[in-house]
Amino acid sequence: MIPDVTSVAEQTETPSPPPKRFRITSLEVLCGLLILALVGQAWFTRILDVPAIRTGATVFVAVCTQALPFLVVGVLISGAIAAFVSAEALRRVLPKRAALAVPVAGAAGFALPTCECAAVPVAKRLIMQGAPSAVALAFLLAAPAVNPVVLVATAVAFPGEPRMVLARFAGSMGTALVMGWLWARFGKAEWFAERAMRRLPEHDGRSRWLVFAETARHDLVDAGGFLVIGGLTAALLNVVVPRTWINTIGDQIVLGIVVMAVLAVVLALCSEADAFVVASLTALPLLPRLVFLVVGPVIDVKLFSLQAGAFGRSFAVRFAPLSFVVAIACAVVAGVLILGGVR
Amino acid sequence: MRRETQNILLVLLGGALLKISFTGTYLRYVKPSHQWLLIAAGAVMVLLALVSIVRDLIARAAEGGHHHSLASSWLLILPVLAIFLVAPPALGSDSVARSATTNRASVPEDGSALFPPLPVGDVVALPLSDFASRAAWDSGHSLNDRSVKLTGFVVHDGDSVYVARLAIACCAADAFPVKVKLEDNPEAGGLPNDTWVETTVTVKPGTATKQNDYVPAATVSDVRQVPQPEDPYEH
Repeated sequence: MIPDVTSVAEQTETPSPPPKRFRITSLEVLCGLLILALVGQAWFTRILDVPAIRTGATVFVAVCTQALPFLVVGVLISGAIAAFVSAEALRRVLPKRAALAVPVAGAAGFALPTCECAAVPVAKRLIMQGAPSAVALAFLLAAPAVNPVVLVATAVAFPGEPRMVLARFAGSMGTALVMGWLWARFGKAEWFAERAMRRLPEHDGRSRWLVFAETARHDLVDAGGFLVIGGLTAALLNVVVPRTWINTIGDQIVLGIVVMAVLAVVLALCSEADAFVVASLTALPLLPRLVFLVVGPVIDVKLFSLQAGAFGRSFAVRFAPLSFVVAIACAVVAGVLILGGVR
Repeated sequence: MRRETQNILLVLLGGALLKISFTGTYLRYVKPSHQWLLIAAGAVMVLLALVSIVRDLIARAAEGGHHHSLASSWLLILPVLAIFLVAPPALGSDSVARSATTNRASVPEDGSALFPPLPVGDVVALPLSDFASRAAWDSGHSLNDRSVKLTGFVVHDGDSVYVARLAIACCAADAFPVKVKLEDNPEAGGLPNDTWVETTVTVKPGTATKQNDYVPAATVSDVRQVPQPEDPYEH
C-alpha cells in the first residue's frame, strides 16, 4: 500500500544521513507516482470504462469538489483561531462550567454557515486551544445543522411544511446539547489521539500571519486525506447500495426510521443539499425524512473519516455510534412534539 | 511526508480545482453557483503552498524535523489524478437505472395545484422536471395538446424508451433522475443509451400516476441528436 511505502521512506531519511548519497524520499515517490500515472493513463481510462465505475468516479470527484471549499473555510478559521485567539481569551468568553458552556457552543454553531466538513478542523482547533472538549464537540454537531443557510434550504425544500424547519432545528440542537452534556459527564481525554491534544506553543516569536498560514496548510493536508477516504467510501456505497430500498418501506414506520438513518450515514450528503433529496421522497411520511435530516449532519461516512483523522480512531468509534443513536432519538422526539406524530 | 511533497500535492490539488472551474468541467460535478467557491478554494490552496515553499527557501538552514503529516495525506493525489487524467463524465443512464424510480417532481402538499400558464408559441422548451411536475399535478392541465421541446439523454429500460435528465441540488452525489417515457416513435428507440437528444413531444394526459412513480408518457413528433449541454443537470 502507498502509505506504508512512504512511512518506510520517511524512516530511512530521519537518521542523520551520509552526505551525497541518493535517498528515496516522499518527493521521489510522488514523482514516481505521477510518472506512472501519466504512462498508464490510457490503461486507467480503459479500466474505468465500466458504467458502474464511471458513475462511482464521478460521484467521488463530485464529493471532493463539493466538500473541499468548505474544508478550506474550516482550516482558515482553524488557522485564525490558532494565530489570533489565545487560549486565555477563549477561557474568558466561555462559561466556567461545561454544563453552561455547551449551550453557548450550540448557539455559536448558528454563526458558521457551512456544511459539516468545515466544522471538524474548527472543533479540533478549539480543543487544541484549550476549550473543554464537550464544548468543541457540541459546536461540531450543531454548526452544520442549525446554521441559517441549512435552515433556509430546508424551508425551500418543504414549502408546505414550515414546521419541518423548526423540527430539524430542535432535533439537531437537541442532539448537539445531549452529546455535549454526555461527553462532559462521561468522556475521557485519553480517547483522543495524541495529535489532537497537542498544544501549539504560545507565540514563539514567529509572526502571527505565518502561524496562521502554516496551521491552515498543515490542517488542510491532514484533513484532506481523510476527506478523500470519505469521498471514496461515499462513492462506493452510492453505487453499491440499491436505492430501491426506499420503495419497499411503505408504511412501516420503525423500518422507515432505521432505513433513512442508515441512508443518511451511507450517502454522506452535504447538509445544504439533503433537504432537497428527502423532499422528493414523497412516498415516505415526514418523520423518517426528519430523521434523515437530523442524522446526516451529525454522522456519515465522510464525517466519520474526518473525525477519525482529527481526533483519532478510538475517539471516533465511540463518538460516532453514540451520536447516531442520540440523533435518531432527538429526531423522533422533535418529530412527535413539533410535527405532531408520524404524518 | 516531507513538506516539499505536501506543498506540491497542494499546488496540484488547487490547480485541479482551478482547472475544472475555468474549463467548465466543474458543471459535471457540482451546481453552477459553486464555481466561485472552487476558484477561491483552489487559489487559497496554491497560495498556502507557495507561502510555505517561499518560507522554506528563505529559511532553508533552519528547517527542523517538522514533518508530522499523516500517511493518509497521500490520498490527496487521487482527486488530482481523477481530474487531470480521467475527468469522469457527467452522470448518465447508469445513474438513472440505479436510482429509486420516483420522479423528482416538486409535489404540492395537497396533491394538486394550479401551475402558471405556459408561454404562447408553437413549441415551448421546458425543463424535464417542470414537464414531469405539470404532467403529474397541474390542475389547470396546461400541457394538454401543447408541443413541448425537451432536452435530455436516451435511457432504455426493457422495451421502454425514456428521455431523462438528472437533477442535482448541490453536487452529483445527490442527483435524482427525471424521466419522460417516449411513445409512438421507433426512431428514438434506435438511439443508444446516453445519446443527448432534443425531442418535441405532446403529453398523454393522465399517464403520470402513483403506480408508475409519476413518470409521464408522451407522443413524440420529432427527435434530433444534439451535443451534451454545457450544464448536463437540471437544478
